[in-house]
Amino acid sequence: MLISHQWLCSLLDLDGPAPDADALATILTGLGLEVEAMHRHGAGVEAILVAEIRGKAPHPQAGKLTVVELFDGERTLSVCCGASNLPPVGGKVALAPIGARLPGGLEIAPRELRGVASQGMICSETELEIGVDGDGILILPDEFPAGARLHTLVPGMVDTVLELGVTPNRPDALGHIGVARDVVAYLSSRPGGRAALKLPPAPAVMAPQDPQLVSIAAPDRCGRYLGYAISGVKVGPSPLWLRVRLHRLGLRPISNLVDITNLVLMEFGQPLHAFDRSKLAEGRVVVRRAHHEEGLRTLDGTDRALAQDDLVIADADDAQALAGVMGGAASAVSAGTTELLLEAAWFAPPGIRVSARRHALATDASYRYERGVDHGAGLERAALRALALIAELAHGRCIAQAEALGARPPRPVIDLRPARAEALLGVAVPTLEALAIFRGLEIEVDVDGLSDRGPTERDAAETILLADPETPNRSPRWSPSWRCVAPTHRPDLQREADLIDELMRHHGLDHVPARFCVPREARPAASADAMSVRGDLLSDGLREAGLQEIVSLAFVAEEKLLHFSDSHDGVPEDRFVRVANPMRGAGVMRTKLVPGLLDALVHNTARHGRPVRLFELGRVYAWPRGQVDPVGFPAGFPVGTRAVDVQLPHERTLAGLLLHAGGRAHADPRVLTGAVAHAIGRLGHRLHLSHGTGTHAAPTVSWLHPGAQIRLAVASVSGPVDIGVAGELHPELIAAWGLPDGLRVAYAEIDLAALPTAAVAKAREIPRFPATSRDLSLEIPITLPAAAVLTALRSAAAVLPAPGEDPVRLQAGEDIELLEDYRGAGVPEGHRALLLRLHYAAAGRSVTDAEVSPLHAAIVEQACLALRARAPSVRPR
Amino acid sequence: MSPLLAAQIQQFHAALASVTSEEALYELQVAYLGKKGSVTALKGEMGKLPPAERKDFGAAWNRTRDEIEAALERHRDVLKARARDLDLARVVDLSMPPLRPPVGSLHPLTQTRRRLSETFIRLGFDVAVGPHVEGEQFNFDDLNIGKDHPARDMADTFFVEPAAIRGLAPGDVQELVLRTHTSPVQIRTMRTRKPPIRIIAPGTTFRRDDDATHSPMFHQIEGLYIDEGVSLADLKATLMAFTEDFFGQRLAVRFRPSFFPFVEPGAEFDLGCPFCSGRGCNLCKHTGYIEIGGCGMVHPGVLEHCGIDSERYTGWAFGFGIDRMTMMLHQIPHLRLMFEGDTRFLEQFPC
Ligand SMILES: [Zn+2]
Repeated sequence: MLISHQWLCSLLDLDGPAPDADALATILTGLGLEVEAMHRHGAGVEAILVAEIRGKAPHPQAGKLTVVELFDGERTLSVCCGASNLPPVGGKVALAPIGARLPGGLEIAPRELRGVASQGMICSETELEIGVDGDGILILPDEFPAGARLHTLVPGMVDTVLELGVTPNRPDALGHIGVARDVVAYLSSRPGGRAALKLPPAPAVMAPQDPQLVSIAAPDRCGRYLGYAISGVKVGPSPLWLRVRLHRLGLRPISNLVDITNLVLMEFGQPLHAFDRSKLAEGRVVVRRAHHEEGLRTLDGTDRALAQDDLVIADADDAQALAGVMGGAASAVSAGTTELLLEAAWFAPPGIRVSARRHALATDASYRYERGVDHGAGLERAALRALALIAELAHGRCIAQAEALGARPPRPVIDLRPARAEALLGVAVPTLEALAIFRGLEIEVDVDGLSDRGPTERDAAETILLADPETPNRSPRWSPSWRCVAPTHRPDLQREADLIDELMRHHGLDHVPARFCVPREARPAASADAMSVRGDLLSDGLREAGLQEIVSLAFVAEEKLLHFSDSHDGVPEDRFVRVANPMRGAGVMRTKLVPGLLDALVHNTARHGRPVRLFELGRVYAWPRGQVDPVGFPAGFPVGTRAVDVQLPHERTLAGLLLHAGGRAHADPRVLTGAVAHAIGRLGHRLHLSHGTGTHAAPTVSWLHPGAQIRLAVASVSGPVDIGVAGELHPELIAAWGLPDGLRVAYAEIDLAALPTAAVAKAREIPRFPATSRDLSLEIPITLPAAAVLTALRSAAAVLPAPGEDPVRLQAGEDIELLEDYRGAGVPEGHRALLLRLHYAAAGRSVTDAEVSPLHAAIVEQACLALRARAPSVRPR
Repeated sequence: MSPLLAAQIQQFHAALASVTSEEALYELQVAYLGKKGSVTALKGEMGKLPPAERKDFGAAWNRTRDEIEAALERHRDVLKARARDLDLARVVDLSMPPLRPPVGSLHPLTQTRRRLSETFIRLGFDVAVGPHVEGEQFNFDDLNIGKDHPARDMADTFFVEPAAIRGLAPGDVQELVLRTHTSPVQIRTMRTRKPPIRIIAPGTTFRRDDDATHSPMFHQIEGLYIDEGVSLADLKATLMAFTEDFFGQRLAVRFRPSFFPFVEPGAEFDLGCPFCSGRGCNLCKHTGYIEIGGCGMVHPGVLEHCGIDSERYTGWAFGFGIDRMTMMLHQIPHLRLMFEGDTRFLEQFPC
């Protein structure tokens, strides 16, 4: 909302000077009408004079120029002018004398135009920045005295326009009067302050009532409709002051009638509409719902099919306006219009909002109607103001008037307990100040039967001041409650808290002290959400393992998710959670974190060749399998959240890890599983790697390389629990993201919710005697997992008899090391050699070579035997 | 003395003079005094001597051995001292670029979110969470943002296509949205817990905005305190305590009246600029204050929607953006840096 400082101040009745623009901005921002920008207009126009044309002669050398003799109030000057619209001798124009500087920066200097001296410049509206009419010079009214400073005759030529951010609860602040009312309440509630609203004249009209003129057939949608029949209108241009005023507020002057309705819109915040009454069948209107298949061509020239829920203003036959949104073209005011029907109305906000949305028409009118205009005195006053201006500026005479009523919103009666206000705000607003605020806002107050009685109100208020207002003792000072009636221009005032908000706005929030209501020590111990803690610990572990966290968007393009929808761990298309109105083509809530991590990888590899080690901790989304059956749901929404929760998709938190070695190098999958092992170790878990039932032919997940993937598991009381999967991303994915063919990228996924609660780690005895080790080189097929070899060796060690009191065993904790996975010369095709080191120890003594050698041989033999059942070619080297 | 022994000593000293390492010294020792050393071998010669000469030769041999051993010992000390001097003459340039272990980093948003949570946990707040896909009831209606409320314009909402749910009464079917703020977590908490309620709710939020300063996905933190006798003054005190913990200095808290449908009275709050302690700098545009977020006293209607007695209980709520706070703290110049995952950006925040 644009507010003219000059206009606003003209609406204030003050003892002292009006606040300047900066002071006003501070006041308004303090009142919650935030000033977002200020525009200062009219720099330099103080120098512009009214000049009278005393003579005109064509320029002797230049045919297009006229040499004009101008009287500036003191002397006569000659000025060269190229405009074609120079008025005749005696006409008035705007003269920029020598030395003047125009708002655009042009400085007027004496100059010679082909031998004729020009002592100034005749200005156009554009040059003065008071309009957009650049075709010719500005012609001033004859009554303007020559020599007068133009800006003293045209209010708003020098002005500051404030750009207000008006919150949707304040439709009253969408007009200058509403904003002025807030300023009045503020100024008059300051100590010793006095301020009142100075409303523009709006004399009552004497025209007879004609009930036929308007009627309401949809009383639920239109609460009040005032219609005025006006005759003898002369459509023409508006006077300069009106054009300037509208121009300052960013509106284009059109004609006196349109400009008047726009002026009243900006003044009262009340949209008005003028119909050409001669175009209305039977010269009357009815407010009704649209008929089936009814159409309307609106003012913007668009033919609109109306819905039966659209409210229209119709004449005896057809819709003539989309109520509260836009007028119709057929009955629009034109240059030849002489008869008018002026509308001032209150429409129910929800209906206007729906219609405006349906027809994608956001107009100044709908913007205000859908927030709620004044349905009381302000509505009529706005109409009368327009009638007075139409009479003055367009010679229109009101010949009949009518008022139709529908369901008007009631004026809320609100009991305000000052003690409650103090309890909520933590500060007491003194009674006199509170009463002044309410009076300024036109909230009627009845203090325990002592109604607001104007001059005697101060006495009345003082009788309830039972204690010193400065004493912070709340009980005796306040009467128990004030009965307040909200004004019709403030639809946001509905209950006590709203009135307390008014007190707070005007009293000022700086007065609220900082004071704990409960001592900090008395508060309960707080806790973090368990899943969040788990995520934080996991992130810490991944960070320590050298990975960098990214945050990527939760919605992605559908095709990026289709790569995962066929995998048994993926989400099929029919369970995608879809955004109905997506942006950037990202229409599906992610079902995997892979796309975001791959996007980040692509971003990085396109820019540098360094290693990329990333992780993300984020939610994935899917509809549950099958249909949800909300059996046993109570109707409606009781307290609790189940009724909503059952309609929501599932959200799971995953951790995704992506490792790329940099350039064309291959990521080492052991670094990946190492990162996982370290991170879950943060949560007290040990990693178990198992191929499970997955084989090369039937891999666990389809989006990882079939020969390079493994299931991640941890131990729990009920056996190993799957927590995710690790491997190399499938070459198809690498290709789909446009990465180089053959690039190996390691990826792991951990499902946070799958992680069981870990047992608290128990201390293990530290070996006191050195261990003895034996190396083993085992030749095995490459398809036989190392994990199987380790398991076989451990099982063998566990089942072999351990004689004696303190037998030799594989050393607890660090039992077997895998030193090398050798593939190459000396190893048969399809095979590899694992170099392992087995550590042997006893609990309370040193062990001898003689003890270890036979044990080692027995374990190796037993393990090979077991492994040969799976892979016959296993042999020690 | 036996000329043989004398020759050995002469040879030994000549050899010792050129020994510069402990290893060579040891080899020398072995060469003369080892099991097969040349001096040791001479001891075997003793048996070949006439008995009268044996005693003298034995004594001479012992002197020879002692002299060699002493000389070896002295030379060992010299070598050690020389080696120590050599070591002390070493110069190590510790100004070389450090070789850092390859640790990773947490996203700056995570770092800020955690610091905020830790601060508020210290101030006695529980951390609460909620779903990203939310029903309109909790995202809008319960927060006084009815279907016809113009405030629904304030949030440009992502809608989610619902799943078909059997047997649900038409009136109970929810329009689903990506939550436009973290405020539905307030509703969820108030609907499922009894006062006193004291929570913060950090989380991901979504709005249909996409430009240089808006991402369609962003992050907020919400605070809520409901109990008997809670006032705006308590909110001010809490926010001040927050600044003390979070910024390490007590900053001014300034409220400006504003409107959010779920609070009344409602305000926006500014904090004294932490970068200049309120004296004015470029970051606060020389106002001494930084705009942070919205706050107010929980609207009695909101309490009632959640089954809380609005006469007995009052409460406050606040909310602000974590992304903006993060960008401000780290002076991150562009929003897009936060979401494109460039490792050269991420490694600037090694925590
Ligand atoms: Zn600053």
